[in-house]
Amino acid sequence: MFKALADPTRRQVLQLLRQGPKSAGELADHFPVSKPTMSAHFAVLREAGLVDSDKQGKTLMYRLKMSVLEEALMEFSGLLGLDLSQRREKSARPATLRKASTK
Amino acid sequence: MILKRTSAAIVVAVVFLGAAAALRYAQSLDLITPDATKRTIQIMVGLMLAGYANLMPKDVGRWPSSPVAAARTQSALRVGGWLITLAGIAHAGLWAFAPLGFANMASMAVVATATLITMAYGGWTLLSCRSRRRPA
Repeated sequence: MFKALADPTRRQVLQLLRQGPKSAGELADHFPVSKPTMSAHFAVLREAGLVDSDKQGKTLMYRLKMSVLEEALMEFSGLLGLDLSQRREKSARPATLRKASTK
Repeated sequence: MILKRTSAAIVVAVVFLGAAAALRYAQSLDLITPDATKRTIQIMVGLMLAGYANLMPKDVGRWPSSPVAAARTQSALRVGGWLITLAGIAHAGLWAFAPLGFANMASMAVVATATLITMAYGGWTLLSCRSRRRPA
């Protein structure tokens, strides 16, 4: 869960989902990254149990699934600027994310 | 899932009742004052309330039929979760630090207000989703 919250892109995804459920495409439009990279971010969030997904027709919808404590931790990590994604996370990045970003 | 939750709730209840009985016993042996017993039990009640409310927004259930209903349900769960968690923490804090008379009134007022707002917001959410579903 901490790893999922450490990345600013994933935190931003969670913040966007606070407004309500959104499709994967709608969320991806907010970030200048490739679709496979976004998919990997979504996978990390799903694995951490912070989001819930549902396939509605051809659209993959996401919604927030965070406890109060998890949301507070996200706010704190954002406020303290715990941007661990740049250097430290490189070594600890999940395999799915590493694979996606090299494509 | 239901079995896991039920067994967790039973464990919490047993721990809670055991702690309350232990405090009563300690009080009967004059190890602690009746005020300390009351305060400790009320702090436990507040923390338990906060613990359960903390999980409220995570309990999203099935996907609602429309995106509007999904957004409103999520909003109601978040508002309720945050309000009751904060009320539980405030309840525990009041019983830990405030004078007994004030803690008694204020803790009840805080929890009742949070519950009422949660119920009103949840009711409004439910009604607004239903009225949207009806044909014009």
